[in-house]
Amino acid sequence: MKTMNWFLAGACTFLLFTACSNPPPAETDPAPKAKKTAIRVENTSKEDSLAAAERARLEAERLAAEKLEADRARLEEMINQLMSDDVYFEFDRFELTEKARELLAQVGDMLKAEERFIVTVEGHTDARGTEDYNMTLGGKRAMKVKEFLVAYGISSDRMETVSYGKEKPKVEGASEDAYSQNRRANFRVKIK
Amino acid sequence: MRKVFFSFILFFCIYSPLWAAIDTIAVDVGISVFKTMPLGVVPFEEKNGPIAWGEMPPHKILESDANLSGRFEVIASQKFDLVAFSRARAKFYVTGMVESLEDGMLKLSCYLYASQTKRLVFGESYKVAVQNVREAMHLFFDQVVFELWGERGVASTKLAWVRKIDGVKQVIYADYDGYRRRQATNDSAISMMPVWALGNRKLIFVSFRNEKPQLHVKDLDTKRVRRIYTNHKQSFSPAVNPITGEILFSVIRDGKTDLYLGDAEGKNSRRLSYLKSSQTSPAWSPRATEILFTSDRGGGPQIYVMGKDGSDVRRITFMGRYNEKAAWSPTGDRIAYTSMDNGKMNIYTCAFDGSDIVQLTSNAGNNEHPTWSPDGNLIAFASDRNGSYQIYIMRRDGSNVTQITKQGENTSPTWSWYDSPPPTSKKEGKK
Repeated sequence: MKTMNWFLAGACTFLLFTACSNPPPAETDPAPKAKKTAIRVENTSKEDSLAAAERARLEAERLAAEKLEADRARLEEMINQLMSDDVYFEFDRFELTEKARELLAQVGDMLKAEERFIVTVEGHTDARGTEDYNMTLGGKRAMKVKEFLVAYGISSDRMETVSYGKEKPKVEGASEDAYSQNRRANFRVKIK
Repeated sequence: MRKVFFSFILFFCIYSPLWAAIDTIAVDVGISVFKTMPLGVVPFEEKNGPIAWGEMPPHKILESDANLSGRFEVIASQKFDLVAFSRARAKFYVTGMVESLEDGMLKLSCYLYASQTKRLVFGESYKVAVQNVREAMHLFFDQVVFELWGERGVASTKLAWVRKIDGVKQVIYADYDGYRRRQATNDSAISMMPVWALGNRKLIFVSFRNEKPQLHVKDLDTKRVRRIYTNHKQSFSPAVNPITGEILFSVIRDGKTDLYLGDAEGKNSRRLSYLKSSQTSPAWSPRATEILFTSDRGGGPQIYVMGKDGSDVRRITFMGRYNEKAAWSPTGDRIAYTSMDNGKMNIYTCAFDGSDIVQLTSNAGNNEHPTWSPDGNLIAFASDRNGSYQIYIMRRDGSNVTQITKQGENTSPTWSWYDSPPPTSKKEGKK
């Protein structure tokens, strides 16, 4: 869960960074504005046209920033959606259930819609059994998910698989409920 | 330290070349048949005044070693008591004398005597700081084992295991009795599956610091951690060759797990198994001629054996659906493993061909991850029988279960190798 949040945070900062760097946002530096007001006293007619140009530029930048902001929010929502899309499995099995296929189809659509996404598929198991065997099982689960998405038309270059075995449970505890929520595959998202 | 431990012994015999199994199951509830030797233990004489011992005085450390070893029955006595020792048939007793030296060190003179004659069988003295008394006592105790049994004791060996610290699994190591604990990793990512490199100065383990399971090595002297077999993205399940130090391990590639054999330096490796199924949990035979491993070729995990070149694969376990994490005893005659039945894990041993199955743990929570002491007498394992997972030691027949960790969550123990080459008997040729 922690790592997911980190990734989300990473993705957000990345987006903010792109938003900041190109083009430069409107309200970054108040100093030039102050300079302009000083000039106004000397040459008002020139200042009028300058101010108009400045206003237009600011307006364009505001729109661009808004668009970026909207884009960022949309991406963030998509990432959130992807990271909460857990695929569940039966005990000691790695076949995809009907429900899992439906969910993965949605994930596939999202990955098609946003080409910049690169995902890591994490395979997990419940707490029963040995560390070693559960590592192999987690590997098989992650691979099944990747195989489905490749068949759905997502390039395998955009997906990496990793097994966490039983080491990263979503829910602590030794109940069937906890077990069933931990037998899962989930996604980590990076932006290219 | 229950002397009576109920063990259900299941005999499972396999007849006929067609592997048609006819199983005769005998359930035996009884006392361990392990032979123990009574040993008198007398407190050390404190020559120049009482001494502020750490956790326990030296004779208590010897008692603890004697109990854990599975070889002795402790006959504790405040002073030499021929009647008590004779009654308990303690032919030998240990005691000693301690002297504080001017430089703050302690001089421990430790003796093994024959009870009847009070003749000195063996004596050794150690000059140590008070915090190193345990180490000295373990050394002395192993000498006692060697004198009386002609075999090497394990009191100076170590255990490495995984302990959850602030919610993160870390690798730690300690004396085999759980004392003098040290932390090998202090990472924000999971560390697990520790095993000892030959020589006991390095630990090989799996770290998730790159958000993938990857083998690393920690040098306990330089404290440096280094990733090994870097050409594999996901590697785990290490097993060290007891002769050459080469490392067998599992690699996940395209969702499938295979066994690889790497050199002792952690650089080059080659694929060992070319089976359709997934393979994990490799373990070496004592002379490193054969390899145990787990394969899911039959659906669930089962234990198989093959030659060290990957040839001649045979299945070992046929009873139950989930048999995993095999460990070959250093004496070569038994294989310990974990089996899951009705969602509960228990430890079993069987002969090297899979026959003569004996269940060592039962009706006590989950019991898993067996690891043999280097003398083959003891098995350490992890159990949640008292609520949380802790490390326990038992004799190879399942008796004398002793809890050695108390707090937190402790799993995946691995016993170290012998530290030094075997001692030479001073009585050589006289017997």
